[in-house]
Amino acid sequence: MNFYEHTLIAKQDISTPELEKIEKKYTDIINKTDGKIVKVEKWGLLSFAKKIKAYNKGFYIHYKFEAERETLEEIKKNSVIDNSLLRHLTVKYKKLDTETEYFNEKDSNEKKK
Amino acid sequence: MKRKSNKKFNKRPQNPLNKLSLFQKSDSRFSKKCPLSGKDAPVVDYKNIKLLKRYVSDTDKIMPSRITSVSQNKQRKLTSEIKKAKILGLM
Repeated sequence: MNFYEHTLIAKQDISTPELEKIEKKYTDIINKTDGKIVKVEKWGLLSFAKKIKAYNKGFYIHYKFEAERETLEEIKKNSVIDNSLLRHLTVKYKKLDTETEYFNEKDSNEKKK
Repeated sequence: MKRKSNKKFNKRPQNPLNKLSLFQKSDSRFSKKCPLSGKDAPVVDYKNIKLLKRYVSDTDKIMPSRITSVSQNKQRKLTSEIKKAKILGLM
């Protein structure tokens, strides 16, 4: 078992119930293939530095989980086919730090100001 | 005795304007410490975009370590993390 981080970018023109469906879909995939979810972060709507497939913004969903190789293959298979996703990235970690949230902190700071 | 003379050589005046000619190498070198290694250094990660943006030029090129004085090990990590951030459209 190893620790992984997986981020998805969903298209901007997707409605909120569909977004929750996507989030649930991948949590189910991880749970079904004997993985353990440590944390799920929603970074919300962020603007890209450059256009990706004629889109300027996208919804980010960030998973932190512990799993075997099979779950990664399953996630990759599904996210390549998925039409509502723009990009995805998995990164392997020896240790996960669940405390620092780089994207949520900014939003909360801006709201306070 | 030789060692003593070496010590004296190091203690030369460290002002770069004291050079005799333009082509003479300056003895004084500004301090080169890696800003990313050592105690309580910031974490190099593809989510930490504030940090990564410091090591990228205006045209989103990765800065060479001879300018930023980042150590070899950390420079290798920086490039991989910057590339990950670019895949996700964060930079």
